[in-house]
Order: sequence, then structure tokens, then C-alpha cells
Amino acid sequence: MRPGTASPGVLRTTWLTLFSHYRRHPGQLAMLLLGLWVASALWSGVQAINASARDSYARAETLFSASLDSVTRRDNQPLSLVTYLSLRRAGEPVSPLVEGDLTLSDGTSLRVIGIDPLTLPGESGLARQQSDAASLRDWILPPHRARIAPENADAARADSRLPPLEADPSLPPGTLVTDIGVAQRLLGVETLSRLVVAPEQSLALPPTLVRQSAAALASPGQLTDSFHLNLTAMGLLALIVGLFIVHAALGLALEQRLGMLRTLRALGVPGHTLIIAMALELLLIGLLGAVLGIVSGVVLARLLLPDVAASLDALYDTDVASHLSLPWYYWLGGLAVTLGGLFSAGFGMLWRAARLDILALGKAQAWRARLHRQLRLQAGAGTVLLGVALWLGWRLDHQPNPQELALGFAMVAALLLGASLWLPPLLAGSLGLLSRRLRSHPRLQWALADLQLQLPRLQLPMMALLLALSANLGVGSMVGGFRLTFLDWLDQRLLADMYVRPPEAQYTDVAAWLEGQDEVQALLEARHAEAPRLDAEGQTTGRTLALFGITPAPIMRQSWPLLDTATGHEAAWQALDAGDGAFINEQLAHRDGLAPGDPLHLRSPQGPVMLTVAAIYPDYGNPRGEAVLSASHLTEKFAATPGSLGVVLRPGSRDVAGLQAALRERFGLGGDAVVDQGAVKRTATEIFERTFAITQALNALTLAVAGLALLTTLLAQAGARRAQLAPLWALGVSRRQLIGLQLGQLVSAATGTAVLAIPLGIGLAWALVAVINVAAFGWRLPLHIFPSQIAMTIVLAIFVAALATLLPAWRLWRVPPRQLLQEFAAI
Amino acid sequence: MLQLTNLTKTYPTPQGPLHVLDGVDLQLAPGESLALMGESGSGKSTLLHLAAGLDTPDRGDVIFEGQSIASLSEPRRAELRRQRLGLVFQQFHLVPSLSVADNLTLQARLAGREDTDWAQYLLARLGLAGLNDRYPEQLSGGQQQRLAIGRALAAKPRLLLADEPTGNLDEAAADQVLDLLRELIEESRCALLMVTHSARVATPLDRCLHLQRGRLAEADP
Amino acid sequence: MKRSTLLLLLATVILAGLGKAFWPQDTSPQAGYAGLGEQASGFAQAGPGHALAFPEDHGPHPGFRIEWWYLTANLESADGRPFGVQWTLFRQALAPETGNNDEASDSPWQDRQLWMAHAALSTPQGHRFAEKFARGMALPAGQGQAGVMAAPFSAWIDDWSLAAVSADAGLDQLTVRAEADDFAYRLALTAQGPLVRHGEDGFSQKSADGQGSMYYSQPFYQVEGTLRLGDEPIVVSGRAWLDREWSSQLLGATQRGWDWFSLHLAGGAKLMAFRLRGGGSEEGDYLSGSWITPQGQVTALGEGSLRLTPVKTDDVASRELPTTWRVEAPDHGLDVTVSAVHPEQWMGTSFPYWEGMVTLQGSHVGEGYLEMTGY
Repeated sequence: MRPGTASPGVLRTTWLTLFSHYRRHPGQLAMLLLGLWVASALWSGVQAINASARDSYARAETLFSASLDSVTRRDNQPLSLVTYLSLRRAGEPVSPLVEGDLTLSDGTSLRVIGIDPLTLPGESGLARQQSDAASLRDWILPPHRARIAPENADAARADSRLPPLEADPSLPPGTLVTDIGVAQRLLGVETLSRLVVAPEQSLALPPTLVRQSAAALASPGQLTDSFHLNLTAMGLLALIVGLFIVHAALGLALEQRLGMLRTLRALGVPGHTLIIAMALELLLIGLLGAVLGIVSGVVLARLLLPDVAASLDALYDTDVASHLSLPWYYWLGGLAVTLGGLFSAGFGMLWRAARLDILALGKAQAWRARLHRQLRLQAGAGTVLLGVALWLGWRLDHQPNPQELALGFAMVAALLLGASLWLPPLLAGSLGLLSRRLRSHPRLQWALADLQLQLPRLQLPMMALLLALSANLGVGSMVGGFRLTFLDWLDQRLLADMYVRPPEAQYTDVAAWLEGQDEVQALLEARHAEAPRLDAEGQTTGRTLALFGITPAPIMRQSWPLLDTATGHEAAWQALDAGDGAFINEQLAHRDGLAPGDPLHLRSPQGPVMLTVAAIYPDYGNPRGEAVLSASHLTEKFAATPGSLGVVLRPGSRDVAGLQAALRERFGLGGDAVVDQGAVKRTATEIFERTFAITQALNALTLAVAGLALLTTLLAQAGARRAQLAPLWALGVSRRQLIGLQLGQLVSAATGTAVLAIPLGIGLAWALVAVINVAAFGWRLPLHIFPSQIAMTIVLAIFVAALATLLPAWRLWRVPPRQLLQEFAAI
Repeated sequence: MLQLTNLTKTYPTPQGPLHVLDGVDLQLAPGESLALMGESGSGKSTLLHLAAGLDTPDRGDVIFEGQSIASLSEPRRAELRRQRLGLVFQQFHLVPSLSVADNLTLQARLAGREDTDWAQYLLARLGLAGLNDRYPEQLSGGQQQRLAIGRALAAKPRLLLADEPTGNLDEAAADQVLDLLRELIEESRCALLMVTHSARVATPLDRCLHLQRGRLAEADP
Repeated sequence: MKRSTLLLLLATVILAGLGKAFWPQDTSPQAGYAGLGEQASGFAQAGPGHALAFPEDHGPHPGFRIEWWYLTANLESADGRPFGVQWTLFRQALAPETGNNDEASDSPWQDRQLWMAHAALSTPQGHRFAEKFARGMALPAGQGQAGVMAAPFSAWIDDWSLAAVSADAGLDQLTVRAEADDFAYRLALTAQGPLVRHGEDGFSQKSADGQGSMYYSQPFYQVEGTLRLGDEPIVVSGRAWLDREWSSQLLGATQRGWDWFSLHLAGGAKLMAFRLRGGGSEEGDYLSGSWITPQGQVTALGEGSLRLTPVKTDDVASRELPTTWRVEAPDHGLDVTVSAVHPEQWMGTSFPYWEGMVTLQGSHVGEGYLEMTGY
């Protein structure tokens, strides 16, 4: 052995000695693992959801690179083979497409897409040179072939209607692609859904057909980024709360082992050996925690993914596989984050161990002085962070810029962290203040003084509780406020009692018939079109704007919500009516920095059109920017095809069902062509609830983690507490009273935490509605504060504290007096 | 075997530098036992810490078996403690999470020379036989200090450094511990440097020195 | 509304990736050029004694595996610049007709035929080409995306066509048109002579072991028309040659490709000559040709009466191609050097080959077309 170098034997003995602590205190090890486990599980769960969704987008986006334009009939009816062939014979390079949903024998729904490989644009002819004639033959000739997303391959193989399958990992989930003839047979159609054409090809189309450019559609990854960022922030919050437990557990384990560390140093264990042994211990625990966490994270993600997929579908029209598909880096990433979190929490421990003063052996801990120094430091750091949060908030409120979302999250992080750093100093201060006033109540005074003594250990779980409570309140307020605003908005937007979407050929007839009905008060026509955006010089910007045509009837003017106008509501509606004004939605205004009075340049079939932004309206749930024109002008200038008819009934005549039946019968309108207002509202509300289901689930989990943090801390220090309680017991305080005191201590600490959580939660709610939502979705919500939720926050805090005290109290209750006596004997 | 030359240690205090040790010279022969007496704050614990390599002198040197401790690196000093020194503290400093048997052999295992027979013998001699599987908190104060002595001796050190080993014990327990300590030192031919404030404890040892305000004076045994 | 957006989005996504999916990398080498040497069991076989009948044989022969309508034209603009035009429609059967339709389906997509067309315009310095694909469709005659009708004659794919101007014109008076991104042409063809049957009354043997194709030509077209090169219209006139050929196995298993000449000689005679590389006696090349008098009388040429010798090669499309040849038919006093007008007449299509206008020097002067495949 080289002199001066510790042998592996020393390391091993040191490690075993260090670890013997956990053998004697398995509760601490459990707490440490639990912290790691929950932190890692929630984080990994969220990441698994994100990774899985991103995988779905990536599969979509890699194929997006050479996206194709679409040709459909203006009336949205399917195309005939004759139409297709006549276009081809006219030299137009369109390719036919058949698509539809097929329900498999096991109930799975597949999107079937039928193509004609010979006319499909895409690869150059040169690429086809490499073709395998046999595979083309297999595709075109019976029994044909189908390509399917691997997720659905097994379910599809069981279905005898389908041709032989080839799993294709590049296909988005739930998708089957086959030859056009097969698709027609599977879907039971003889028509074509649409035609596709390479974007660079020009087309001469008959007036009945319309081309829609693929470029007008943003890729799903971009649209959903903000949603995933929100999820990630939630996961991060859970990770931090979990790491608080870890930090608390490590701090406890270090404090209780300080004597052991000094003894080992005195017995000749070199300092670095000690550090290596402790780092190894961390690594082992970290690996165990990470594996546990990642496995449970995946389970959690499996449970949550269907909801997330439904949310994403509802919000952004994106398809996400409803089962997980995780890339290798997900596993590695989960491990890295868990270990990274553990070591960041353990760094303090290692640092203190490295700077261990051996000569302090046996010296009494000046805990009060140390606590005060620490509290001052925390208050200082907290002030700095709160200052940063304030500054960011001011900045975001005054000058919007592209990194808003990231800055918004930074602000929220600074706000939460700063406030939680301030919690212990505030608690300590109020305890000191109170205990001076309670000299006449010795038991209460003792309880307060004792709570101060516990503060170093309780502060971390209390901070975790603060974070969880304020997140709960903040997100709860945001969702609650959103719900109110959204329902209100739905009421304003859904004016008509019933909506009819007749086929183009029947449109005029249906409209005329409805006009003739006595019970119909007004018909609100709505149309959709698209137009390329131009810049001020009239040059193409490459962006397309969705246009929505409405009927500015009086009922519409009274109800349609406007956020901001140039010169008042009346003037705005007049401008819309006159055709030179347009309303734009909040998303468009926010993204393009447009304000009422600004010009909006568009290209119409008749040439460039300049409109003035007359008003901005809220448009919740729409991921895209949109402009509103009057339906008649939209038809005239932008050749909008007939869309839907909103039917407003006369007050008093509420026979919606009767009118619906009459419409259906007279015009043979099918399923979706007639819907009543109630059905639309139900669907919208359902989508809304689904969207926030995941948020609320994560929130509840975070709160549970904070409760766990408190419980584990109390359990871990139960032994030490007993030594502190024994003298009191000896002085004549009954065990029942001791338990009552303890419960009171915790509940009052939790109440104090909740009191701080209220302003913090409201601040968070403000940040969410005024900053994060604007940046992520493009809409700003009014801030709603719900007294019931504030009350709930306090109740939750007390409930969590009481729940966490329950087990330790029960254990104290069960302790025989003889054991309390031993607390004296050991001294 | 242990030679302290001109050992000086000064601590800064708000009231100016405090000379804890001020040019101390001391020699200890192999197998010799020496008591170092002095008032609280006379610097005797500091001297012991310097001798153990737990701290470094400002001036002067500690030479153990011909080797200057002050010039050794921290890991080498740790190795020296592990291999050749035994330490006994007033506060016992047992590892609470290790059993009696594991505590006893801890340093021997760290030094890489665990001797089961010797450990068993020590346990018996120290009156701890049959308590192998207990934990320190389940022992009396005297038992704990006997265990601490056993831990130091189990590694067969060349020199035992003891800091008020009986300071936490009542008289009867203290006498018992001291007798055992002396006997075992003789048996294992180990030198002893013991810091104490009690003359009753110091008397039975070979030699006795007094430390006063950082300086050494010969005292009556 | 939202739903349909989604569908659109999704399908677009999928489609873009499919081109590749459908034309996957081939790991097994195809037999012969473009798979033309593949075994052809189940298909009708070309052979001697198949009497040609018109106008029926102008139409498709779906029982045979492959077939083409192949037009080449040597043209000249008013200012004397040489141009060349190619228009070809290929038909390929993916599987033999079995008689009993294994999947009784009335789907128009249920068809075994594939169609492919090439159009090319050779300019004095350059060369432009385009190709089209179509699947056969089970539709009434004349309604598919691509197809051929015997009478009135019409061959088409999308908006490219080669068609008789009237119902009783047979192949005598045709209009050919094609339009691509960077060129277009529209030509009127008038036959100045009769149809010409190659080989044994229309059976043209292609290798020593006997397989071959049915093969006839109309080499006597007089051409008037307009080319469009970019945006520039060019009035042209000249001569054209139409080849009609069908077979189920054109190449022998060991044949790698061919060199094919169709030459208009000064004085009105024509020469068709080809060399199939491999598959001749003792695995040598297989030579065959037709000497066509100005009146349309045919003398078959072969080993001994025809010599095709590469003289000079050029590096074209990373390949070594013989762009200058010595062509000899000693019985007819022909010994000419045939040179490409310029070497850059490569058809970079799915099955790439060289096809371009050539000029003759030597015992005869003239012009024509040369096709070289399998390099």
C-alpha cells in the first residue's frame, strides 16, 4: 500500500460504518428513498408523457417535410373518379386519396388512408429507379398490402378484412395506409376524399374545386410546445418538492452522523475517503430511487396519457399515441435528473462533511446562533429572488418579447422560491414574537419555543407544503377563472339555438325555408375562408390567415364579446358591416402585435385587400390566429363557400327539437348537419374539463408529496423528539397533553404556511393568467379570486399537518412510560 | 518514541492572540505512561490533538518514532492515526449505529489487522463479554468508556492518547476503567499519554507533567 | 371544421413519406435491363407465325407482359437548328391474366396493367425529358388515366397523347403532344409509306435461343409542328419513326441491354438495326436489323450481313457510352459512321437510358435515333 493512500478496506469499513446508521434508522433511509421516488416518479411520468407525445409529433413532422397541398370540393362533398380523371387528362398532377375511420374487430379505431402510389407526388423519378417492382406489384395486386403504425399492428392483424400488414414505425399512431382500391372497399365508399398535389405545382382548377396549401398549417410540435412546457413546469415543481424531502432526509442523516464522522476521522479515516464513501452511498441510494421512480413514472404516465392525448386532440387536433413509446434517452434522462437532483441536495452534506472540524468533537452545537445565521441568509436570498420576480413581472407586463414564456416561468420560479425561502424566517419571527407574549401560559410558551427548536428540520417540509399549497391555489384559481370566463364566452358566442350545415347544393333552399318559418327570429350565417397575408408593401409573407365570416345581426352585436376596439363597439360593428373593418382574435393580436386601428393586408382572389383592425375578440381554445369579417363581405371578396347557419328562435318558441326534425325530414340532412346549442356547449365544456384534468391531477399529487415530506420528517425525528418530550412528561405533562401540544405545534406551523401561501397563490394565479397563458396560448384571462379556494387552502394545510402528525402521535401514545424514563438514563 | 520539541500553538481571539502552547518540549519512551495535568484551558487537550496529528502546530514539531508529524500530509497523518495510534475521549465517541463488537473492532478493521482472538480477549477483560450485540446506547457510562478503550487497543497501537477518559464517570467506575487501562497497556506494551485534571488519576502512571499557561513543568507523581 | 383540418394534416403527413415507401431499395438485382429478362410464365409468348392484323394490333395486347408505342422524330427549325423528339408509352402487366378474377371486384382500381410514358426534347446543345406513371383501370375503353385504343387509334397518359386525326386514318395521320414543366411539343405526323414488319413477318427474334417480340414500324412519317422550349415556340419540320413492339420476354436471362438504331438514309431507304449484348451464339452479342427500301420492302439483316462497332465513347451520367459507331450492311453498300449530335441526351428516368438524335457520315448521309440501354 502506498503510504498515505487509504486502502479499499478502509473505504469499505468506512462505508459500512456510515451505512450502519441507516440500519439503525431505516425510517430515514425510507424517507430518503421516498423523496427520491416521488420526485423522480412525477418528473419521469411527465417526461414520459412528453417524450411519447413528441415521438408522435416527430413521426408526423419527419413526413411533413415534403407536405402536399390538398384539393377538395368547395362544398366539402367527396370527389368522383370522373373529376379526378378529367383533371389528370387535363394535365393536372393531382393524386387521389381516400380516407376515413375504420373500427377494428376489437373496437380500435384506425384512420385508413388509401393512396395511388403511381401518381403520388414525392420522390423524384430517379428514386423510383431503385424501386422493387415486386413491392409495387404486391401493393397493387390482390391480396394487396397495408402499412400500419407499429402500435396498432397487433390489433389490426386480428382483423380479417385487412390485407397483409407491414408495421411502419414512421407512420403516426392509429394510421393504416393501403392501396386506394382496398381503402375504398374497407370504408365502403366509391368516391375520393380529396386530391393532393405537390406544393410547388401550379394547378388550374374548375371553380367547384378549391386548393388548400399545406403550408397554412403549423406543425403539431410547434402548436403543442406550450402545452408541454406547462406539463414540464408541473413536473419540475413536483421534482423540487420531492427533492425537498431528499434534502431534509440527507440533512437529518448528516446531522445525526456528524459525531460518527468526526470519530472516524479521529480513528484515522482520511477526509477524502469519507467523502468518497458518502458519495458512493448517495449514488447507491440515487440509483435505487431513480429506478423505482422511473418505473412508477412510467406507470403514472400510462394512467395519465389517455387524458393528455384527449386534451391534445381537443386543443390542437394532434394525434398522440395513447400508449407510451419511450426513446432510450428518456431512461437516461430520468436517471440523470434523479441523480442530479440527489447530488444537488446532497452537495451541502458532502460540502459540510468535507469541511468537518474534527476538533469540534464533543463541542455542544450552537444551534441557535447557526439557525439565526441561516435564517438571515435565507431571508436575504429570498429577498433577492422576490426582487427578480418583481422585476420580471414588471418587465413582462410592460414589454412583451419573444422569450415571454421562458421568462414567465422564470418569474414564477423566482416568486415561488423566494417566497419559500422567506417562510422559515417569517415562521421563526412570529414564533419569537408570540412566545414573548405567552409568558403567562408556560405550556404554550414551551410549545412555541420547542417549535423554534424544530424549525431547522421542519423548514424544508414546510417550504414544500408552501409550494404545493400555493400551486394548488394558483392553478385552482386559474382553472376556476378560466372556467367562468370560458362558459361566459361560450354563452356569448353560441347565440343561435341551433346550427345547420347544409350541403352546398341545398344551402339556399335551406336558408330560404328557415327564413320562412314563423319561429325563426334570425339566421346567422357563418363562413370560413383562408387568405394569404401580405406585408405593407404587398409582398407575400408566406403566411395564411384563417378568415371567419359572421352575420352582424343586432343580436350578434349585443352579445359577441369584444376585448378592445379602436373607437367603441358601435363604430367597430359599423366598420365590420361596411366591409373595411375586421375583428381579429386575441391570439393574432398578441402574436403579431396588432392593435385596433392597425392595417391588415390580405390577398383575395380579386387582388390585394387592406382591412383595418376594428376590434379584438377573445377566442379561447383556438390555437391559430383568425380574423372575422361579415359573412357577406367574406363571400364577396374571398369567395367563401357556404358554411353553417345559426338559427335564432323567437323568444317563446323553444321547440328546437321540432324544427330539427322538420329540417332533417324536409332536406334529408344527416347526423352532424343539424346540432343544437346544448350539444355544442356540452362538447366544448367536456373538452375544457379534459384539458385541465391532467393539471389538477399533478397538482393533487404535488400536495400529497408535500404531506409526505412533512410526515417523513416527523417520523425521522420522532426518536429525538422523544428525548425532548421526556423531560416535559417528567415535569407532569400527560402524554395526551403532549400529543395535543405536538398537534397544535404542527397545525399552527401549517396554518402560518397557508397564510403565506394565499398571497403567493394569488400571485401565481396572476402570473398564470396574465403572463404564462398569454405567452403559451395567446389569450389573457381576467384574474378571479375564489374565497372558497382560499378557505380550502387553509383547510388543506391543517388537514395535511394533522394527517402527518397522526402517526408519530399514535406512536408516542403507544410508548410505555418506562421507555420515556430511559431517555434520562441514556444521558 | 514520541518527541515534542518547542511546540507552539496560538489561537486568535477578539482580545488578541492566545498562546495555548508556548514552546513545549516533551519526550515519551516506548511503553512509558505519562500523565499530563493542568487546569481547564491550560492547553493540554490542544497538546493531545497536536500529538495525534488532528491539528498542526504553529511552530515546533511532533516526532513520532522518528517521523515528523507536522510535515505529513493530511492523508498520511490519518494513516498514522489509523495504524499506530489509539485515541480515547472523554465523551467516548462510539458509533451509535454499530454493535459493541463492531465498535470494538472498528479501528482494527480500518487499520486492516483485525485480530479476533485479541478482540475476544479484550471484550472479556473489559467485562463486555456477552454484550456483543448490544448497541452503545444500551450500555452504562463505564461500559461505554471501557468499550472505547477496547476500540483503541484492539488495533494494537504503539501509543495510546487519552483525553480525560474518566471525566464522565463516577469514582468507582473511573477507578475500574483506569486499572483496566493500565493493565492492558502493560500487557500490550503500549505507551500512554493521558490528559487529566485529576491527581488521583495521574498518580499511578510512570510520570506526571504539569501544563500551566502553555508551558510544561515537572510535577510530583 | 376542425376535424377536417386534422384529417388533412394527418394525411399530408403520411403521404409525403410514402414515395419512398413504395419504391423501396431493391436488394436483388433485376434480371436484365428494367426487369425485361424476367421469367414470363403465364403470359402469352411472341413467336413466328403470329399473323399481324391491323388495326387490332395497334391496340394493347394485355396477355403479353410488355408493350410499347415508341415515336422518335428528327426535326429542324426554320433557321436550320436540329431538334429531336421522343414520345413513348410503355405498358407492363404486373401479373398474367388468369381468366378467373381471384377477387371478384368491380373496383376500377382493380387492374393488372401499369403504364409509363417518357417524353423528351433534344435541342442542339441540350436535352429535356419527363416521365409519367399511371395504373390501368377497369373502366370502359378510353376512360382511364392512361391507355390505348386500336381504332380510332389513340394512346394517352394524362394529357400526353398520340392519336389518329380521324377514325379511319389508322396510323397514317397522327397528332402527338406532350407537355412538361420546361418543354412541350405538338406535332402532326403523316405517313409517306407503308407499315414495315420486322424479322419473320413481324416476329423479331432477340436471342440465339429463340425468344423475341412482335415488332412492326411506321418509319415514313413526315412531320410538321411546334416545339416549346421554355416560353419560346419553335416551328419545326422533319421525319419521324414509330415502333410498335410487344413481348413477354424481350431479353434472354443473360442479356444486359441493347444498342438500337433507326436511321433515315438520304435517298429514302431506312435502316433498323440492334445489338443485344449477350445472349448471342456462344454468349456473344445478338445482331439483327431490317433494310427498308424507300417503298417499304424489308430485308432482314443478321449475323454476317450487319456489323455494329463502337468507335468512340463519351462519359455520360457517370457512364461510359459509345456515342460514335460504325454501322455496316455490306450487302446494301452501307458503311457509315453514326455519331450522336451531342452526347448529353441521357434519359434520367426511373429506368435510365440514352436516347438521342444521331447523324450519319460515310457511304450514306442521313439522320436518325440511337437508343442505348443497360449501361
